[in-house]
Amino acid sequence: MNLRTPVKDARGLGSAKDGVHHWWVQRLSAVALVPLVLWFAFSLAINAGGDYEAARAWIGSPFTAGAAILLIAAAFYHAQLGLQVVLEDYVDNKALEIVSLVVVKFLAAVLALTGILAVLSIAFGG
Amino acid sequence: MAEFKLPKNSRVGQGKTWSAPDGASNVREFKVYRWHPDEGQNPRIDTFELDMDDCGPMVLDALIKIKNEVDPSLTFRRSCREGICGSCAMNIDGQNTLACTKACDEVDGAVRVYPLPHMPVVKDLVPDLTHFYAQYASIRPWIRTETATPPDRERLQSKEDRAKLDGLYECILCACCTTSCPSYWWNGDRYLGPAVLLQAYRWIVDSRDETTGERLDDLEDPFKLYRCHTIMNCAQTCPKGLNPAKAIAEIKKLMIERR
Amino acid sequence: MPSDNRPLSPHLQIYRLPFIVVLSITHRMAGVANTIGALLVIYWLVSLASGPDAFERAQAVLGSWLGLIILFLFSLGLFYHLCNGIRHLFWDVGKGFELDAAKRSGQAVIACAVGLTALVWIVAFATGGA
Repeated sequence: MNLRTPVKDARGLGSAKDGVHHWWVQRLSAVALVPLVLWFAFSLAINAGGDYEAARAWIGSPFTAGAAILLIAAAFYHAQLGLQVVLEDYVDNKALEIVSLVVVKFLAAVLALTGILAVLSIAFGG
Repeated sequence: MAEFKLPKNSRVGQGKTWSAPDGASNVREFKVYRWHPDEGQNPRIDTFELDMDDCGPMVLDALIKIKNEVDPSLTFRRSCREGICGSCAMNIDGQNTLACTKACDEVDGAVRVYPLPHMPVVKDLVPDLTHFYAQYASIRPWIRTETATPPDRERLQSKEDRAKLDGLYECILCACCTTSCPSYWWNGDRYLGPAVLLQAYRWIVDSRDETTGERLDDLEDPFKLYRCHTIMNCAQTCPKGLNPAKAIAEIKKLMIERR
Repeated sequence: MPSDNRPLSPHLQIYRLPFIVVLSITHRMAGVANTIGALLVIYWLVSLASGPDAFERAQAVLGSWLGLIILFLFSLGLFYHLCNGIRHLFWDVGKGFELDAAKRSGQAVIACAVGLTALVWIVAFATGGA
């Protein structure tokens, strides 16, 4: 039998006094991604059909490599922020929620690093 | 995992059918959600056939006619019958609205009447709104100041500042918007919901209140405020034409502005 | 205890979700799907960095009919999420909340997403990039 008052249940542990940062960086990464994604999608459409050497030359050129690195970093950051919200919404079990949030954060970091290293190795590999 | 399916005890079955009286020509079907706490059964849908020539135009008129003439056990909240008290909020034809301002003619086919979604049901069309009211109380919806009230007059407010309350003060706390929000369905225990956040903004933007900072502090929480993803079902469903989504966006703007 | 056995009223089962709400859940689904698409991009970049054999394999996989379908769906989801994301950014500065404006901007988002997807694939086939 719940002997707590309804207001006690509604107040819970009080406000976390935090939340604006996530909202802000989600929008910041989104704004960065608009030009980066548009550029990458069309650039890839033009350049991706070529042979191995042509593709390496395209990705390895300084502008493309730089923009690709920015794209990978912004995209995985934005994706991690978005997936965090999805997990917070749908996963009710607190322990499972925290574990999956940590896994997503780590995976995003690893995948972003992998992509950036791939681009760097192409750019500096010759 | 957020439960997208209804729990076992909530799955709805077929109920009774109550036919129209003989000689009735203008007959409409009303499919109404029924549940009785003492019967130990799952909820069911009862079908009532009504002669609309002998009934008022609104869905509430039909429900009252059913209670008076067909099945007196049908239970629902109602009071003003003019769209100002908020008692008769329910889900009609798939959308939340007030039964007293929803004309039967606006609905095609059978009129499906359900209680407000994803709420504990007390009986038939009556949801348990205790948590909703507690969330409203938790935002402390009254003027809070350090400055004492002037002894000889009211706290004054310019016309421009008073205009900022338009679209906010008219809320009748019917809970249509909050119970239409999928985010509130999945996280209603901690997410305050559109109605309470609209009222929170009403007090934040009131020029006579002096505790704006504390009000914003109390809301800055990943669940209390930031479960709102601008889904906008609230604005779509508000029977008073208010826009909680816009008010919530203004709160989020203030959160950024104060950094 | 009388309040213990209360049922939960139906929600998704009975709610008639309006157009703008359908766009909202689609935005989320596209976002999650884009994460999977991003993995494909990383796969392609790593293959390119790993040498000509790995690259040829990746090109064959992504250029197969199934790969092309997946890439097409990815591009559609990507452009939809991008256009609807811009719509969200307008909401974040407080613009476009009236119901008719939200509906019209939603229709514009669908048109732009389809248009951009078509454009990028036309460019891809025209320049031999597919």
